[in-house]
Amino acid sequence: MNLFFGAEEGGELFVPPNPAGELESWLVLLVLLLPLAGFLLTGLLGRRLSRPWVISVSAIAVTTLIATWLAFQQLSGAYGEHGIKHIYGTWIGVGDLSVEFGFMLDNLAALMLIVVTWIGAAVHVYSIGYMAHDPGKWRFFAYLNLFMFSMLMLVLASSYLVVFGAWELVGLSSYLLIGFWYTKRAPALASKKAFLVNRVADHGFLVGIIALFLITGTMDFFESFVAWNVAEVDPLIRNAVAVLLFVGAAGKSAQFPFHVWLPDAMEGPTPVSALIHAATMVNAGVYFIARTTPIFASAPEALLAVAVIGTFTAVLAATIALTQKDIKRVLAYSTLSQLGYMFMALGVGAWLAAIFHLMAHGFTKGLLFLGSGSVIHAVHEEQDMTRMGGLWRKIPWTHATFLIGALSLAGIPLFAGFFSKDLLLDETFVLGWWPVFVVGILVAALTGFYMFRLMGLTFYGKSRVDPEVESKIHESPPSMVGPLVLLAIPTAFLGLLIGTGLFVNDSGKVAFDPGGPVLGISPIKKWLEPVFHPGEVILGITFPEYEFFGLNGGLLVLSVAMAALGIGAAIWFFGVFNTRARLETVDSLTQRNRVSRFFYTASLNKWYFDDLNHLIFYRFGGVIANGVMWFDVRIIDGVVNGVGVITQRVGDDVRHIQTGRVQNYALGIAIGLVVIAALFILMAR
Amino acid sequence: MSQSLEAYLILAALLFGIGTFGFLAKRNAIAMLMSIELMLNAVNLAIITFGAFTPELAAQASTIALFVIAVAAGEATVGLAIVIAIYRNRRTPLVDEYASMKE
Amino acid sequence: MELPETVPYLDWRWDDLVFLAMAGVMLGSALLVVLGRDIIRSALWLILSFAALAGFYGLLGSPFLAISQVLVYIGAIAVLILFAVMITSSKRGPAKLVFQRQWWAGGIAAILLVGLLITTVMLTDWPHNGTVYVADVQKIARTLFEDYLFAFEALGVLLLAAVIGGLYLAKRDDEMPETNNPRGAMRDEDQRS
Repeated sequence: MNLFFGAEEGGELFVPPNPAGELESWLVLLVLLLPLAGFLLTGLLGRRLSRPWVISVSAIAVTTLIATWLAFQQLSGAYGEHGIKHIYGTWIGVGDLSVEFGFMLDNLAALMLIVVTWIGAAVHVYSIGYMAHDPGKWRFFAYLNLFMFSMLMLVLASSYLVVFGAWELVGLSSYLLIGFWYTKRAPALASKKAFLVNRVADHGFLVGIIALFLITGTMDFFESFVAWNVAEVDPLIRNAVAVLLFVGAAGKSAQFPFHVWLPDAMEGPTPVSALIHAATMVNAGVYFIARTTPIFASAPEALLAVAVIGTFTAVLAATIALTQKDIKRVLAYSTLSQLGYMFMALGVGAWLAAIFHLMAHGFTKGLLFLGSGSVIHAVHEEQDMTRMGGLWRKIPWTHATFLIGALSLAGIPLFAGFFSKDLLLDETFVLGWWPVFVVGILVAALTGFYMFRLMGLTFYGKSRVDPEVESKIHESPPSMVGPLVLLAIPTAFLGLLIGTGLFVNDSGKVAFDPGGPVLGISPIKKWLEPVFHPGEVILGITFPEYEFFGLNGGLLVLSVAMAALGIGAAIWFFGVFNTRARLETVDSLTQRNRVSRFFYTASLNKWYFDDLNHLIFYRFGGVIANGVMWFDVRIIDGVVNGVGVITQRVGDDVRHIQTGRVQNYALGIAIGLVVIAALFILMAR
Repeated sequence: MSQSLEAYLILAALLFGIGTFGFLAKRNAIAMLMSIELMLNAVNLAIITFGAFTPELAAQASTIALFVIAVAAGEATVGLAIVIAIYRNRRTPLVDEYASMKE
Repeated sequence: MELPETVPYLDWRWDDLVFLAMAGVMLGSALLVVLGRDIIRSALWLILSFAALAGFYGLLGSPFLAISQVLVYIGAIAVLILFAVMITSSKRGPAKLVFQRQWWAGGIAAILLVGLLITTVMLTDWPHNGTVYVADVQKIARTLFEDYLFAFEALGVLLLAAVIGGLYLAKRDDEMPETNNPRGAMRDEDQRS
């Protein structure tokens, strides 16, 4: 399939990034190395410091500032539409393979930079308060810095193999952080599970990268796109490579069937859950596919698979979230579900919406997780929602920010979540995938329901808190509330800021101009268009004009209505503010008949996927492993030991020849003589 | 028959065989030495035979035989001296008992 | 009296008769050496076989060597053997005492060896004329003292070494008692040597 669209368009389809200036290359290097230095310093010295967080938080603060400046520069167009690129040096140069270590900062990377650094900074500050009583906090801050380094490298890298290296490093940081309290059994098991599931997926990823290299001959992102476009490859192979890359992304972003590690990852401290498993690491998969849209665009079947998996995961996770009792588990499954949304969007070709949702969800979920951490801290490490309630008066700041987050996630106007979710569902329908759209609005209803179930059980109604703890409930310290407020701002306003035309003036530049059209054009569309344009051309999709008072408006109303429906139902069952919860009604509904009981139990048990995995890999795999072990111990070791034993026995038996008697030796000589002489005679004949 | 080379050689072979049997089968050390002497004699016979039937080699054959005799004498001396010395130590001339180098 | 040309009745040559007779004596006495139970008897049979061999040497035209055989083997070696037998007096005894436990293995080996040798002898094409030549003693002397002079002198040294060695090995320490008692003391002077 020879798809060279360049000539038709009267210009190159793939425009290379500009070479970076000296200042920029130094700044990016700084952005990468500051967290790394923070990790090393904290790791080496942190134990002896009374306040180990100083090193890491300051490193992150500086990194955030630099990164923000760079991102603003890029987004405002100072470096050109297609970004800048700089190669620091060749990492691997062997024969035909040349992997370079460098960065590529385009609009997509710039947006990711903002998300990663700001949420990272918030989490770092939050951890000062949250981990204040933990004796191992120096390790925590070191690992956090390591994670920031890996994530930034992942976002900025210009070649596949460097991304893969960062991919694994991020997985390592996740392992270290999930198992932070490694002396307890559950975190240790959970971290192992996360790492193993990721590792399995990464195999597919690596095979995909290698196949890509074999086809395109380069490991650089930009060059591979160009080469992939003109390569004469069977469509089957194109799809296979794309699917393999997707497998890796699915592992990192916990899509079915790799979703099993994310809920268990909640064993880690809450800041970890906020940073890694809501806002940044799990987005790596989405980011990677967004980065490689030209590859996927020429493999429509692979995109179909992406969409199907994403949709399925979204629904699956949402149904599980309905019944969970642990507050963090609800948020975890919610993350899974929202990630499913993003993959759904990627699959149908709505890449812009996926990235927008990534950003909105990142801030929202980060806020929600940090908020849950604050709640848990307030009720003294209790995570079971059935033992909370009536907290909204006692921890007002937490409650207020949490409420903002919940509304945003449910998709209520005018929060960030509303804009991103609406855009996402809108484009799904417009591109012709209306079954996916139907599932999507269903999930939106479910989302509203479980979020406000959470709110009702945790904050509202009668207090079910343990009386001993109740008297000690207090608001969290400023170091924890500060980040909550900080994150609440983008959660509330990000959508308005970059999702609408409020800040786009007539000439299309980003500036505050309320006079122009509000919907249908937005800064984010302007920013990401150059990134996704090649993919859209290859895939052959176009987006029609946005009609607020036509189709798009109708879809918008529909999605909001579904969300409101879910929220309303939740409020009816679980209460809001001072209204009473109807928990008994909930119980009777779920236990009414066999069918409802089945669904309730299945949902509570995560649809038995963990048990399935246990059966396949532990039981069945155990049988195979035992068989192999038997083979190894009995046969292979048997041969090796057998050689030794045989040598010994033979030696023992032959030893008896040495009788010490001369005549026996002489007999031996005589016989030998006879034999040799006979041989001689025979041979001479 | 007295003029046939093969006859003498066969004779020497038989004598050698008898000596071998004695060497391998007797228990007394001195009997073993006597068997050795028999073997040496058999070899001597063979050498002289060759010398007799090949005139060019006659002198050399005789010389060789003489040397063999002389060396046999020396060997018998030393061998018997050793047997006597061992006998003094162990009070038995039976070679079966000289088995202290056994494994 | 003149000897008839051939042996009467049998029509053999005299040489052949002598040959056969001496062969019988030699082999017979050799067998008796080996199969005898009494070691002194064995030694005596050994002397007889030496004598027969001397006869053979004569038959083969080397009188010089025949005399040497008698002088050295019978006169020196056999006597030496007899002396040694006397010193290490052991009794005449049953076969268990005289023959090894696995004498039959030796027998088989010996038979095989003989067979091999005979086979070799018979199968080889010996280049010879078929008549016995008498050796020239002068030539022997010349060979010994001219061509192989060095070997001759070395032989002398060898015999000297054998004599000294034999002397030393068989020397009886005067103070050593005739028992196996390890505490049978050796005097300090003896130990130092």
